[in-house]
Parts: sequence; structure tokens; C-alpha cells
Amino acid sequence: MSCHQYEIMHSRREFLQKTGLGLGAGALAHLLGGCATSDVAGDPHINGLPGLPHFAPKAKRVICLFQSGGPSHLDLLDPKPELERQFDKDLPDSVRRGQRITGMVASQARLACQPSRFKFTRHGKAGTEISELLPHIGGIADEICVVRSMHTEAINHDPAITFFQTGSQLPGRPSMGAWTDYGLGRMSDNLPSFVVLVSTNKDRSGQGLLARLWGSGFLPSAHQGVQFRGAGEPVLYLRDPEGLTREQRKKLLEGANELNRLNLASAGDPEISARISQTEMAYRMQASVPELMDLAGESKAVMESYGPDVNTPGSFARNALLARRLAEKGVRFVQLYHRDWDHHGGLHDQLPKMARDVDQPAAALVKDLKQRGMLDDTLVIWGGEFGRTPYAQGGANRQKYGRDHHGKAFSIWMAGGGIKPGMTFGSTDDFGFNTQENPVHIHDLQATILHCLGIHHERLTYRFQGRQFRLTDVHGRVVKQILS
Amino acid sequence: MFRPLCLLLISASAFAAEDIRFNRDIRPILSENCFYCHGQDPKHREADLRLDVRDEAVKAHDGVTAIVPGKPEQSEMLKRLLSHDPDDQMPPPESNRKVTPAQIELIRRWIAQGAPYEKHWSFVPPERAPAPKVADASWARQPIDRFVLAKLEAEGLKPSAAASPAAWLRRASFDLTGLPPTPAEIEAFEAETTLKSDAAYAAAADRLLASPRFGERQAQEWLDVARYADTHGFNNDSARSMWRWRDYVIESFNANVPFDRFVTEQLAGDLLPKPTLDQKLATAFNRNHVINSEGGIIDEEYRVEYVADRVRTTSTALLGLTMECARCHDHKYDPISQKDYYRMFAFFNNVHEYGEDGRIANAVPLLVTPTPEQQRRLREMDQRMEAIDLKLQATPAPAAVPADLRARLTAEDAKLQPKSPKPAKPAEARLLAKDADVDAKRGTTLSVWFKAKTASLDAPIISALDRSGNPAAVSYGGGRELRLVGEELEWAASQRYPAYATIVRTVGAKIRPGTWHQVAVHIHGKENASTIALFVDGEEVPTQIRHDGVSGAPAKRDWLLGADGKAKPFDGEVSGFRTYPSLLKSGQIRHAYWLQSTDKLTAEQRTVADRGIARRHTGNNLALQTERDTLWTERLAFIRNLPTTMVMEEMPTPRQAYVLTRGNYDAHGEKADPGMPEQLIAPWPQDAPRNRLGLARWFLQPQHPLTARVVVNRFWAQLFGVGLAKSVEDFGTQGEWPSHPEVLDTLARDFVDGGWDVKKLFRSIVLSSTYRQTSDATPALYARDPENRLLARGPRVRLTSEQIRDQALAVSGLLAEKIGGPSVRPYQPEGLYKGIVVDAPYPSTTWELGKGDELYRRSLYTFWKRTVPHPAMLTFDSPDREFCSARRSRTNTPLQALVLWNETGYLEASRKLAERMLKEGGPDDAARTALAFRLATGRAPRPAEIEVLVRTLAQLRTDFAARPDDAAKLVKVGASVPDPALPAVELAAAAGVANLILTLDETITKN
Repeated sequence: MSCHQYEIMHSRREFLQKTGLGLGAGALAHLLGGCATSDVAGDPHINGLPGLPHFAPKAKRVICLFQSGGPSHLDLLDPKPELERQFDKDLPDSVRRGQRITGMVASQARLACQPSRFKFTRHGKAGTEISELLPHIGGIADEICVVRSMHTEAINHDPAITFFQTGSQLPGRPSMGAWTDYGLGRMSDNLPSFVVLVSTNKDRSGQGLLARLWGSGFLPSAHQGVQFRGAGEPVLYLRDPEGLTREQRKKLLEGANELNRLNLASAGDPEISARISQTEMAYRMQASVPELMDLAGESKAVMESYGPDVNTPGSFARNALLARRLAEKGVRFVQLYHRDWDHHGGLHDQLPKMARDVDQPAAALVKDLKQRGMLDDTLVIWGGEFGRTPYAQGGANRQKYGRDHHGKAFSIWMAGGGIKPGMTFGSTDDFGFNTQENPVHIHDLQATILHCLGIHHERLTYRFQGRQFRLTDVHGRVVKQILS
Repeated sequence: MFRPLCLLLISASAFAAEDIRFNRDIRPILSENCFYCHGQDPKHREADLRLDVRDEAVKAHDGVTAIVPGKPEQSEMLKRLLSHDPDDQMPPPESNRKVTPAQIELIRRWIAQGAPYEKHWSFVPPERAPAPKVADASWARQPIDRFVLAKLEAEGLKPSAAASPAAWLRRASFDLTGLPPTPAEIEAFEAETTLKSDAAYAAAADRLLASPRFGERQAQEWLDVARYADTHGFNNDSARSMWRWRDYVIESFNANVPFDRFVTEQLAGDLLPKPTLDQKLATAFNRNHVINSEGGIIDEEYRVEYVADRVRTTSTALLGLTMECARCHDHKYDPISQKDYYRMFAFFNNVHEYGEDGRIANAVPLLVTPTPEQQRRLREMDQRMEAIDLKLQATPAPAAVPADLRARLTAEDAKLQPKSPKPAKPAEARLLAKDADVDAKRGTTLSVWFKAKTASLDAPIISALDRSGNPAAVSYGGGRELRLVGEELEWAASQRYPAYATIVRTVGAKIRPGTWHQVAVHIHGKENASTIALFVDGEEVPTQIRHDGVSGAPAKRDWLLGADGKAKPFDGEVSGFRTYPSLLKSGQIRHAYWLQSTDKLTAEQRTVADRGIARRHTGNNLALQTERDTLWTERLAFIRNLPTTMVMEEMPTPRQAYVLTRGNYDAHGEKADPGMPEQLIAPWPQDAPRNRLGLARWFLQPQHPLTARVVVNRFWAQLFGVGLAKSVEDFGTQGEWPSHPEVLDTLARDFVDGGWDVKKLFRSIVLSSTYRQTSDATPALYARDPENRLLARGPRVRLTSEQIRDQALAVSGLLAEKIGGPSVRPYQPEGLYKGIVVDAPYPSTTWELGKGDELYRRSLYTFWKRTVPHPAMLTFDSPDREFCSARRSRTNTPLQALVLWNETGYLEASRKLAERMLKEGGPDDAARTALAFRLATGRAPRPAEIEVLVRTLAQLRTDFAARPDDAAKLVKVGASVPDPALPAVELAAAAGVANLILTLDETITKN
């Protein structure tokens, strides 16, 4: 395949340049005529790149339940009885191996081992060990694959989240959702293909997120994620102003497009027909988005399965349900952010609350997808930007403790869309400090996600500043062992 | 249905009719497909074969020769390109690269012609080409037109007709001022063009170039390149103050400062001889990068990032080379080594800065940067002070202090309730004050006497700053401290030293060794730099800000003589530590000094002090002195509150730069001293210092092959939507061959030889026949040349996000014309930051809606929050300003329609435009809609268009007449009040149509 096809295609106009060389004026005029209504079939912004997917995908869509702040793998998904034996003893140098630590604990005289105060039990046929804080996740143990050997290079939130989402610690690169939109295009005429949901717990606050996390980086900005909001307008600027009816909006739209068509006839620029169809889609979105956010059609059983928070707009539970609805309606990449896993202190108190926010709804989402026959082609990912240290921040304590950021090893789980269910993959050392078997780097995870979508991660590239860029930089390998 | 067509894709050269040229035709193929493994990076070189150097490419390797000049059939390269055997095939199948049959044919012909190489075009200095022969010589108005026409004729094309005067004026107005012309301007111009055509165009161009809007328009582009923003970026993303630099840019373009001076000032204004304030301010260009204040980050890691960002920005802006590709390894495509990268890095590595900084304000180093108006006010205060001083000096000094004065002042001082700590026990020799009564909330004046033994000390005099533990720890260095630095005093109030501390230093304290001095400090409020006043020997002294980052109350600790920890105690004596539970006035501090000075001063010093006090208490002087004190205090407070700007400042001893292995901040390789790829690009100018000033001279030498081309190309892209060299940010071997190299080189040569005159450059382009063409074209021409690379028509480009909004403000009459000043906050959806922005009281974590005119300023003044930029701006493709951006994308999305329909600002502008329709538009709907249409598009609507507008207006009117309450609601949008004289139904209907007009493709496009 020629690199030309991956080149910057800023606009429909440019696309025509790339492909229109063999076309006569007559054929082109026909195409343009077709565009004047709502047919934008040729636009790569909408239909993705030629040649993609590279192979038959297992997953048609992704729901990424991102847990921002760094959930403690040692208290949730990766049991370490050895820490119990090592309680309050120094983390051995042979384990730390000179690994850098953050300024948060730089002043501590010692790094004392901190066991988890939470019990782990085996779940499902697979016997996956999961913390008592996640009983519902335990209940779907046979649907999920727990990866215990994740690792990342960053040790602070901003670079680590940016790395997880864009493959680079520094801002400026496109996020996963933008890459997939660029590569695979849209599946719906009424909804964007990359949607972001941000959930907050009203009782707590957290670090900042960054709207640029769902930005398009150097990709054309059409590929940026669209945030659907829990409160206020579900999509910015979606609502018509007070006093203007839908019929009036339609009249204004039709009037504008009549003029746009007259203008097209004299100016000749195909960009005008693209604008006409995009304007029409905006009008359709004004109806389709509120419909999607309205849960009146959901059965009582489904509502209840997500837990009581589902009635609170902006909660994780509500967003998990919305994620399913978005997936149903053809959104390709749903990126959910749940903030405030950053438990430097008071982990014993805060972690159970955070776990309660997400445990039932996340499990309900997987079950709901399965019931609807969508789990097979929907990839669900649950995890944060890094894990937490096996040593205590401050002093070690059996009851009250905190943990610092830790990127050398952490856990996530995945389900559906091409992932082998009912397994754990990879392991860490006795302290949960280093990965041991089958380490999975962030770039490997990204390669694997793209693989599930039928994309060869080395071949989805974009030329910027003279170089072909990709999500996985020059790294990444698909984790074949966890593929179904 | 388009997909299969892509298979037809072949080399898209629009220049097939000409001879093969290495740079244009062959190098891009080799660069894309071969140089990665057979290029100049020895670490990735396969089979020891280089194809980027001819001598190597034609040499036999183990009896096989890649290129045999003149003999394609013997050339191994061609065999490999044609091979179907996966083991032999080049490029290898797994490389994901492919050379098309058409490209292989080009290579075959090139080898047959002797395989001549050329130095990459952009590394050869630009020269003027002779004017080509053209059939229709009368078409050309400017030298560049002949080159454009020659190419069109070679392609069998004709230029398009000239645009109408109105269309040209609208286009030129947007390009030169960023705003549309008014109907009056259009009418006047149309009238003039009928009389004396070309002269009218020249006069109009001159008028636009002289407009102060010109600087704003040009600044918008430069701000993208310079990644200007009003926040620091990253997680905390709190506010910074860099707008004084933004205004410098506007002023420079307006004053038509030669571009070489503009660049020199920004790269190295601080290193110029006797730099002016503006020259130092200009260096903020290289401090616009993101800065991380997340607790616990590794300082050096981020400091290195900032330096790397300067390399990236400077090289993109001026070299058009992707230097950053050589950060971790030698450049894969361009002959730039990793060493070259770190040699450029070395120029920007000498700033005394921190990786973690900027949590609540500007990071260091920073500069106080008063506006011209503020400078005027300062001069005015100085004059008033001088007048008072003259009066004070006119009074003869009395012989002695009035007898009762000491007793009276002592009593007054006692009323102020000073507290002195208990004397220290011998065992706690260094403990000066336990539980000192320091309370910033209430306000505290702390005073102390000291005498240094030796000169040139840099040491704490008294300290309550915790220096125990690891300086990398987030909790390091909380507390307060007074230091002696040479002849000056330094006060610190710190949460974390030094990044989250306020550190101010006196200017002119004149501390002498062996002499007792008294210092008093005002401690109050948030203890940021604007609140701290320092008094030395009874007189308030000016201070300069060294850090202004304290982000929380400093820890309260015991006061020690000298510093905590192992540091040596203060080499001298300290006495008379006192706190007052209030902020003492100047006179009170002066009196306290005098009262306490009895046993501290020499006889001679005492005579001077006594005489001073006596004079102040003579006749009318006390009132005069109070007036002077008030003015002086006001002046110093005024200075403390002046805007600061982060600037470049060299450390006395440059920091040694190293090649960083794999780009890792802590992996020092060999040393790297300041330098540029001089062999490749241009020699180092004789006598130029190896610092940023020398670097500026290197960039701006007349024979530099890149600087002028890169700059001119970006200006061209601004006008035509695409550069002559399309990849405006990459002039390296991976960049595209320019569509019109002769035009680029002629413009670059003229630009340099004509004194880097920006306005002259714009003038020559907008008056060219090329630019004056209409953009209306047949679908066939759009199909043949979608991006207008051949320039057979005028530019047709969607307006930028700023222009779209500014136009709406302008045509509705809302636009506030003020230039410069702090950034403003127009409408933004409520709750936008909720759940995204950090939950901490840092500056800029909330969006306080602007008042009055602030809602209607030009968009380049909109507050730019990096992590959550204004959503309407992003929707129209504004970059996020995290990094240098030399090119914006131009997309077309449904969200854009939603913004234009429903964003408060556009709705308000629609309603204000509707008011103009009703008030100025004339008696009937046709005239009224025509006015709005003309305002927005610069032309009168055609009958078919009027029909649509009038019909829509009538329908809306009928609708609203049936629902008057809705009409009343619709016209209420925005902060401005609708004209009560206008019926709501009429106004709402007209507002609907006005909105329709503002959303038209033609309205938001430069035709």
C-alpha cells in the first residue's frame, strides 16, 4: 500500500486530489451531485481510510473505562501475601533496583512494605483472585481477562494518562479514539464515532483531566472526541436557543443550504457540498443525542443492575449505561474517565468508596452487553494509568495507609471483543513491584486494542512533519496470548 | 464508492511535462523509501550501503553496485525495486513501503541520464531566477506573476479572471486585518477602481497595511508558532502572564519592525548591548512552552523538556526542519546528527529555571514588564516625588532633635504592641525566637537588626525555613527566611523552596559589613510578591521579584540565627528581633528604627539619623513627609503589582550540555557545545558569539538558505491556504518540492535584500495578478487542482476560528476595538470545567465571565487555557497551543454548525445584526436582508438569494407572531440589551435570518 493513502487529507478537497486524478469531469460532477444531499461516502473523515480494517476485526467497538489516578493493583487485582510477611520491613534493594521514585516519597527515610488490608478470594471456574472490594467484578471473573503485568514509563499523572491515551508522555499526539476514528471512520450518520464521558463522584474531588486527552493531536481536528456531558447540554451547543422551535431551525437550515447550493453552482468548490451535508448531520444530532441520553426506555431490571447511582447524572453507573447505549447506536470508541484513584494517604478509607462506585456498574455493563449479544464484538477495558507502590507513603500500618504512584507493575482487566475470557495473564514479583512473567507495556496494550479492531498497529500511520507517526511510536507488540 | 479509485493512485506530479530533476522527482522517492535504512544514520544502516550520497551509491559493495550511472540495467537498485522475490525485493515487504511503477520508471530514466545528484534544494541559498517568457506578458503586475503564468501556460491552463473589486477587498481585508470590509469601504473602493484601477488597489492595500488591525492579524499566526497561551499546561494548568509579549508582537508588526530585528529580539533581546525593556520582553518567545507544576515530578526531566521545546519551536519557526527527530538518534532522513541536535540544545540550556514551577503564577526567570501607560504613570509619580523633595530640602535642618520627641515617639511605638522573644538559652544558641507572633492573615511587621562581618555574603540572616530532608521532596523548604545577598536583602515565604515560594530581593539596600542595619518586613495576605514590603534602616526600598509562586501558607517554625541543618550560622551579629501585630506605616517604621538605633550606630551615623528626624519634625515637614511616604509606598506597591513576563536570562556560567543517550534526561553522553549544522546549512558568522545572539545572527545572515524561505512560505500559506512548499514545517528531504520554486526564491531574496520588510512583502503579493484572480472555478479545475497548487485561480479558504467570530462581532457592531492588555473571558458554556479541571484554587481553574467590552474583544485576546481551550475555537481548528504549530487543519464538521447556531456569542451577534437590519436596512424585507447579506459576504445578494432570505424571514415572522413569548425569549440572549424600540417579533425573525446568514459557507470563507 502506498504511503500516499495515509497522507494528510485535510479536507474533502484534498481527498479529491488524491483520488480524482483518474476521473473525468463528468464523473466528478456526478459525485458532487451525490454529495449535495447527505451522501458523503467518499469523505475519509467519515468512512475511514481505504484498506482498513487491515483484517477481519473481532471487535467493532471499544468501551474504555479509564480509572484516572492510579488504582492500587495490590488492593484490587494482584494479591501479594508476601507483603504481609514483610510488613514494615524495608523494600529490598534487589527489588527496587534503583528505580526512581517520586518527589512525594523522596523525603521518606525508608520505604516500608505495606500489605493490603483487604481479602482476596477466588472467583469463577478460572479461580481468579480478586479483592473483596470488587465482588461484582468477581462475579464476572469468567468473562474477563485480568492482566497483572502491565507497566508504564511515567510516574506522574499527566504524563502517564497522556501515555495511556496517546502513546506518548508529552502532549500533542492523537488519542486512541482519534486514531480509530481516523482509520475506521464513522458507523453512524447521527452520532460522532468517538465519544467521551467523564464521571465524578460528588463527594470527592480529583486531579485535573485534560480535554486534550480526547484531542486529535496532529490529526485533523474532525477526529477529536466529542464529550457527552452528564449535566447541562449533553453536547456543547447542541440545544437550540430558547424561543426557537425545531421547525424554525429546520427552515433556517433549509434556507441556508439553498443559499449554499446556489453558491456551489457559481463558486464550484466541492467543500461547499461537504458543509451542506455536515450541517444536516448537525440537525440530526440535535435529535439523536437527547434520545440517547434519555433512559426512559430502559427496563427496570437493567436500570437496577447498574446500581442505585444510575439515577444520578454524571455518575460512573449512569455513564456505564450510556456507554452501552452509545455502543448500540454505532459509536465506535467510548472513552469513559472516572477520577480520583490517587490514594497517597487514606487509601484504606477512600479505596472502598471508589471501588463501590465502579464495581457493580462495570460488571453490569459486561453482563448487559453479553445479554444483548454485543460482548463478542465490543472490547471493554478497565484500568488506570499506573498502579501503586508496595511500600507505604508515610509509615506502614495494618489499618491506615497510603501508597505512592507506581508504574513498574499494575493490573487492568479486559473483556469481550476478541479477548480470551476467564483468565489471568502475566505476573509480578512477590512484592508486586516488578513485572515477572509476560510483561505488557502500554504500547503492547495499544497494539492489542488496535488488533482487536482489525488494525495492524504498525500500518495505521499519519505523516506529520516529514515522518510517519503511529499510536505505538516505534514499539508495541500484540499480546497474542490473551486473544480469543 | 471512492475506495476502489484509490487503486488508480499514481505519482501525483503536476509537473510531468518537464525533465527529471533529482531534488524534485527522485529525492522524495529515495527519502521516503530508502534513506531509513540506507541513509545517513550509521546505526540503522543496512548492508553498509548509503544512497543519500552519490559517491557511496555508485561504489561497488562486494561486487554489486547500487547505481551504475547511465546503465539502469546494471544497477542493483533497479533490479531490487523490480524484484518480486520477497528476499530480494526493495523496499522489503515488511517495511510497509512501496515504490510505484511510475516512480520506478522515473528512477530508471534518471539512472539512464547519469544519475546526477543535487544538494537538497532548501540547503542552497535562494537566488532570483530570470523572468520567464510568457505568451501574455500584459497579465503580470508583479515579478512573481510571470513565473506563475509561465507554469500555467506550460500546463495548458489560463489564469482565472480578476476577482471583482469587492471580492478582492474582502479577501485582502481578511488577509491583512483579519476583519471584513464595511459596506462603505467597499462602495468607496468600487468607485475608485472605476476611475484609476491599479492605483486604487495600491491605495487600499496601503490603508489596510497601516491599520492597527494588521498587527493583530499577523500576531494570530505568530502566536500559533510561538505556542502562546495564558496557562502553563499539564495537570494543574494554572494561569501565567505572557500577554505583554503578545502585545509586543502586535506592536512590532504594526510598526513594521524589520523581521530580522523581530527575530533577533525574540531569540536574544536580553543579550543585545544595553537591551531595552521591550527587547528583554521579546525573549518571552522562548518561554511560552508548557511548564509542569505537578507535585513530585523529577525536576531535571522537565527542565530538559523545556529546552527541547525551544529547539523544536525555533527550528520549526525559522529552519523549517524537524530537529527534534534527532533528539534520540541521528535524523533518519535529513543529514542532522544527534550531536547537532544537542549543539542547538546548548544555546537554550543556560536558563536558571526549574522543571517543576508555575503552580500559581509565572515561573522563573521573570521580568517586570509595565505597559507604556504604566511606564508613563511611573514617570508621573517620580515627578511628584521630586517636587516634594525640593520642598523638603528647602527647609533648613534644625540644630537638634526637639526635647520631647523621643519620649513621644517611644510612647507611640509602645501603642503598636511590639513583642520581643525571650532571650535564647546558651544551649540553644541558634534559636532566636520560639513561637514568634507571625500571622499573615491579621498582618504582621517583623523587624530585626543585624551586622555582617564580611562583605559578599550569600547566607540566611534569620531563618524559619525547613531545610531538612531531600530537596526533591514535595514538602521541602517550607517557612520564611531573610537572607543577605551581597549588598541586598532577600525575603522568602515558602511552601516548597524555591518553586512554590515568594522570593523578593531589595534593589539598593546598600548593606555594608561591619555596620548595624535594621530590616522590617510586611507579612500579610497570601504573601505573594505583590504584598511584601521591605524597609531597610527605616526606609521602604524597592524590590524585585525572584519567585512568585507561594501556593499556600508557609509553615510556622522557630526562628533561627542563620539556616537550619548543617549550614553555617550567620557570620555576624543579630539583635532586636520584634514583631508587631499590624502593618506599620512608613513613619512608624522610621521612628522605630531611630528609637532602636541608639546603641547600634556610630556617632557619625547617629548625627545623620538625628538630623533626619529633626528635619521631619520641623514646621510643615511632617505633613510633607507623610505625603511623600504615601506616594513612595504607592509607587512601590504599583511596581509590585506590575505585570511580569517569563523571559530568557543567561546564567553567569553556562550549563554544560551533553548528548543525551536515547534522549533520556539523565543519560549524559559526550559534551555538546553551542553550534548549528554549519557545514550543511550555513557557516557560523565571523566574530559571532556562541550564544543566542550569535545564533540569531546565524539565522539572519543574508545567504542563509532556509530562514527567509521558511518565513515567506508561511506568509504565503496564510494568504493562499497552502504554502508554495506545502509542508511549511518541513523543508528537509521529506518535505515536498515547492510548486513554484522561483516564486519562493524571488520573494525570499526580495525580502532579505529589501530589509526584511514584512508590509512590503504582503503588499507585493496582494497586488499581484495571481492573488487578484477570482476563486470561482469550474468543477473541472477543482478536480484537476483541488488545492490550487498551480494558482490558476484565487484563494478560497475557510476563515480561521478567530476570523469567524471577529467577523460576527464586526458586522453586528459589537466589536470592541481596544488593542492589547490582559486576556479576556467571553462567553463559554457554564460547567465546562466541571469534572475536568483540577479541584484546587489555582488561578484559572474557573472561568469568570468578562464584563462589558471584554465580551466583544477580538478573539486573539480570548483567554487561552491549554488543557481546556475555548470549545468554539477548537471546533474551528484552533490548535491547542501545547507546542509550536505552523499549520492549522481546516475541517468541516457538524459541531461547527452547532456552534454557529447556538453559541451565545453568535446568537447575540445575530440579534445585533438584526437590529442593524431593522434600523439601517431600509423599509422592506428585501433591503433589510440584503444589508445583512452584504455585511457578511461583502457582496449584494442575487435575486434568487433575496427570494430565499425574504421567504424565510416572512415565515419566521408569522411563526413568532403566533408565539410572541418565544420571540421575547430569543432576543434576550447575551449581555447586551435589545433595543426596546424594536418589536420583539420583528427582531426575533430578523435575528433568525441574520443567524442563517452568519452560518453560510460563503460567510465563513475567504473567497
